[in-house]
Amino acid sequence: MAASPENTVPQASRNAAGGVRPAVVIGGNRIPFARAHGHYAHASNQDMLTAAIDGLVARFGLQGQRLGAVAGGAVLKHPRNFNLVREAVLATALAPDTPAYDVQMACATGMEAIGSLANKIRLGQLESGIGGGVDSTSDAPIAVSEGLRRMLLELHRAKTARQKLAAVARLRPRDLAPDAPGTAEPRTGLSMGEHQALTTAAWGITREAQDQLALASHRNLAAAYERNFFDDLITPYRGLARDANLRADTSAEKLASLQPVFGKDLGTTATMTAGNSTPLTDGAATVLLGSEDFARQHNLPMLANFLDFEAASVDFVRGREGLLMAPAYAVPRLLERNGLSLQDFDFYEIHEAFAGTVLSTLAAWEDAGFCRNKLGLDAPLGPVDRSRLNVNGSSLAAGHPFAATGGRIVATLAKLLHEKGSGRGLVSVCAAGGQGVAAILEAR
Amino acid sequence: MSAPERADVVLGSVPKLGPLYAAAAGKQAAGWRRRRAVRGRGPGAPEEVLRLPAVRHVVRGVAADPGRLAAYQRLVGDALRDTLPSVYVHGLAFPVAVGVMVRADFPLPLLGMVHLGNVVEHSRPIGVGEELEIAAWPENLRAHRAGTRVDMVVEASAGGVPVWRGVSTYLAKGIGAAPELAPGEPRACLPPAPTARWQLDAATGRAYAAVLGDYNPIHLGVLPAKALGLKRPIAHGMYLAGRVLATAAPNDCGYRWSIRFEAPVFLPGTVEVALGPHNGTVDFEGWNAASGRRHFAGRVGALPPAET
Amino acid sequence: MNSALARGMARKAGLPWPAPLRRHRPGDPLVPGTVLVLGGGAAAGAAEEILRGWGVEVRRNSGGAGPLGAIVLALDALRAPADLSAPALATGQALRQLVPGGRVVAYLRGEAGDAGDPVRAAARRGAEGFLRSLARELRGGATANGIVLGGETLCADAPSAVAALRFLLSGRSAYVDGQLVRVDTTAGTLPVDWELPLQGKVAVVTGAARGIGAAIARTLRRDGASVVGVDVPAAGEALAAVASQVGGTALQLDIVRPDAGQAILAHARERHGRLDIVVHNAGITRDRLLANMDRSRWESVVAVNLESQLRMNATFFDAGLQGLRIVSLASTSGIAGNRGQTNYAASKAGVMGMVGASAAAAAALGGGINAVAPGFIETDMTAAVPLATRAAARLLMPSLMQGGLPVDVAEAVGFLAWDAAAGINGQTLRVCGQSLVGA
Repeated sequence: MAASPENTVPQASRNAAGGVRPAVVIGGNRIPFARAHGHYAHASNQDMLTAAIDGLVARFGLQGQRLGAVAGGAVLKHPRNFNLVREAVLATALAPDTPAYDVQMACATGMEAIGSLANKIRLGQLESGIGGGVDSTSDAPIAVSEGLRRMLLELHRAKTARQKLAAVARLRPRDLAPDAPGTAEPRTGLSMGEHQALTTAAWGITREAQDQLALASHRNLAAAYERNFFDDLITPYRGLARDANLRADTSAEKLASLQPVFGKDLGTTATMTAGNSTPLTDGAATVLLGSEDFARQHNLPMLANFLDFEAASVDFVRGREGLLMAPAYAVPRLLERNGLSLQDFDFYEIHEAFAGTVLSTLAAWEDAGFCRNKLGLDAPLGPVDRSRLNVNGSSLAAGHPFAATGGRIVATLAKLLHEKGSGRGLVSVCAAGGQGVAAILEAR
Repeated sequence: MSAPERADVVLGSVPKLGPLYAAAAGKQAAGWRRRRAVRGRGPGAPEEVLRLPAVRHVVRGVAADPGRLAAYQRLVGDALRDTLPSVYVHGLAFPVAVGVMVRADFPLPLLGMVHLGNVVEHSRPIGVGEELEIAAWPENLRAHRAGTRVDMVVEASAGGVPVWRGVSTYLAKGIGAAPELAPGEPRACLPPAPTARWQLDAATGRAYAAVLGDYNPIHLGVLPAKALGLKRPIAHGMYLAGRVLATAAPNDCGYRWSIRFEAPVFLPGTVEVALGPHNGTVDFEGWNAASGRRHFAGRVGALPPAET
Repeated sequence: MNSALARGMARKAGLPWPAPLRRHRPGDPLVPGTVLVLGGGAAAGAAEEILRGWGVEVRRNSGGAGPLGAIVLALDALRAPADLSAPALATGQALRQLVPGGRVVAYLRGEAGDAGDPVRAAARRGAEGFLRSLARELRGGATANGIVLGGETLCADAPSAVAALRFLLSGRSAYVDGQLVRVDTTAGTLPVDWELPLQGKVAVVTGAARGIGAAIARTLRRDGASVVGVDVPAAGEALAAVASQVGGTALQLDIVRPDAGQAILAHARERHGRLDIVVHNAGITRDRLLANMDRSRWESVVAVNLESQLRMNATFFDAGLQGLRIVSLASTSGIAGNRGQTNYAASKAGVMGMVGASAAAAAALGGGINAVAPGFIETDMTAAVPLATRAAARLLMPSLMQGGLPVDVAEAVGFLAWDAAAGINGQTLRVCGQSLVGA
């Protein structure tokens, strides 16, 4: 990797000179990710988040300690979990006077929670914090229909018997059917998979390339387990010790035999299968962050600095960009702010919502037209060294409990960087609503 | 071109659509024979044979009902804001226009008319509390290859200044048809990639009617639709426009938009929708994925700030 | 088993009923009453002084009245078999006064291996036989154990002899019965606070997620140590719960890994600044009659129970950890043998051999290495043993007529981890309620 001279100045010191101090990733913990309606079918978001935090507390001996804050969230959240993270904290071994708050940014919830905590630490507002997220598609909230809901609200507002009767009379039989959350984008009615199918087709990403990425994800994740990489990143839960979605024995042939599931009726060639798309998953992930002082005072390891992060959004509603392409915009802005090029990284963690997402993003960065017209760059960002991409697997193999993915990635990347002892890692996570978050971590 | 002299008919309030439709039905039953005379290529172009009434129906002091506005905004997926969506203004004024169309001297039958499209200039955001003066009149009667077209113009003014002007074009099928006229713009043979998909249930028409009062039978259910010669009910064209605008219309400035209806959306049904930026405007179209038939197409774009 | 009905049925059937054992609770008095000190050895005087120093009421006259919490018997000066009769008979006279949960602790003396004068050796070994049989006659959850003062000069006030006396008198030794604790040197420092003998220490416990390992973690924590709980990643959920309970840290690690010792050392040093105590508790069983034994069952048991400990110890010794105290879990199966456990017994007997042979290396660093051999302990693992076998193992075999609890093993482990126990090295302490199984 040819770093230009100005890039050899460690970012940490550069930031320190800028008046903020480093935010350090101390470690992480997650529970293994389970497939929907599998091992965690009876666990709630709060249960899983509690387990993940408790595992982190046990790993780092934080029992009874008051941390600066715990930030996290869930994408599929029942209204009664309005204070999800705080309620989870109260169930953990952390001191009950640890503040907590909920964050929600779709699949980037975990990244936003971690990034905002890192910023507070960098500013000196906090000494420590836990960031992360949780999601359950097995224990998803089911709401009453809009009709029933409005009737109940009217009934509540009604004062006279006549008004009450009128409210009830408005109910229709179909209003009694419950309303389960879907993965469709509210403004378009298209599922995330269908949106990605359009982007995948637009970038001409082949079925073979997607299957190959999926295969690498499974192989890399399996190899990481084999070398005990996750021993200090995962705590088993409800009898599950490894990500249930992992298929260590999958092959190109098996992946090639799957039928497409997305994009079949979009007038494009359907290439996206259950094998190269992430399944619905349950799980929780957390990351412990702190100042250097906090880590030193508590004899805690310092794996990496959480250097910077950037969110971007795209207008998929008016057809200007693909739904999951926001990271393609967040990354160049982040690179520019930090004086880095796309090639200045030792590890790339690009969330595999779909294999097509990763490949479309990579293709965009290599495309001169995209980089010029959409990013306003003179030259393409260029290629990413694929041997540095998702080296310990990503969401295709591990699964993707929406809000938990950021925590999984940051902890994994921080440990990778610490093992290597030098260099930087780039995180890219796309999210529903045309959003995305990119982040830079630096080894220490 | 100078506008013809029109007499203002000032109404005390916005009429109810239900009675208007009933009146239209009665009028059509009674007057059918007279109009049969102009079926087919008649003795001359419709504008020569038929005469539009030279009137403007005017209603003053029209204001939006906040509850109804909220219901509309929710129906089309718009945000609950205190300015009036363009289609809501249309809905507010529509009965006034219909009132013109059911006049005894209006030469075309209201029921069974095909809604061909709209062009609307929504000059500035209109607050929910603003009192509007609504004026509606017909103009531009002309031949179509399948019948006779007419434009219904609606103008909404606030403090004497027009803030919303819409032209709805309708086709009375079979009346004064001019088959030699070329079809309009050819339909795109390959639909673009969709950016959205609407799943419209059977109650879509009733839901729109419940909010904006347009109980035209062709939208309400299978039986009323069949009575008017349709196999199934169809979605209100303005509902489709309203959904597009909820996404595509700017809400901090005036805008101009147009929509052209090509094939009806039968209910229940699924519409593939594509929105695409085009030179500072947003082009949109909706089609049926299975048949490839286009339901509608149009464009929306912000107006430059008005000069003061 | 503890219901009144069961007790009544046992009485009618003429079966002995197990007495509740006196177990340690912080704040309890060391002994439940006066201590009678008998015998003519120098240890008697030393013991009296030590006991008085602990605020215990001491009586030297066997003729006195009143309940006794313990009898301390100085048999450290026996020269001939005849010397045993007087203290033995005096003990017998005093036994009626011994309260339930009482203790008999005898000081004995001698070289390992009966060297020297045959007459003296006969007297010393005779004392052992006497003590073991006395232990079998005690009722009410009382126990009898010995402290063997190694060599000819070691005194009862050697720190480890003091520590052993404290341990054996206390409720910590509830399930230790008929055993000898051998003190060879004057090494060791007494704790400032006997309630917190592990204050400031950092202890690693392998297999800490459940059962005996979890009990060890809790006991070491109670006694003042910071605890690192280690278990295989798959047991991480339970491990996390234990770690949080004891305010320690959880280290998910398969100890079979070649670098397990380094990983433990790094974790302890990085997170707790030091490493003072290692408890090799992790172990597995893969029972099969030898005729049906396959290679993987055999090798996995030996790899986990024995080879991993050898490898980790080598790492710790190489690291030169000063004063490191290692306690390994052996098993009475390794002493007496057990049908279906050839592999397990080989591994556990191997542990005893290992600690014996590692004693010098440990001592060279100012530390020590010992083993604890549990007998029948009531755990999740033994709950799987068929009921009849379990009942027999509990009731018929040990003198205490019951299975032990994980905490009983943990107490013995804790004792051997005390700095004060530095004079005890290379030994195996049985925690078996004086089971018939084995010696």
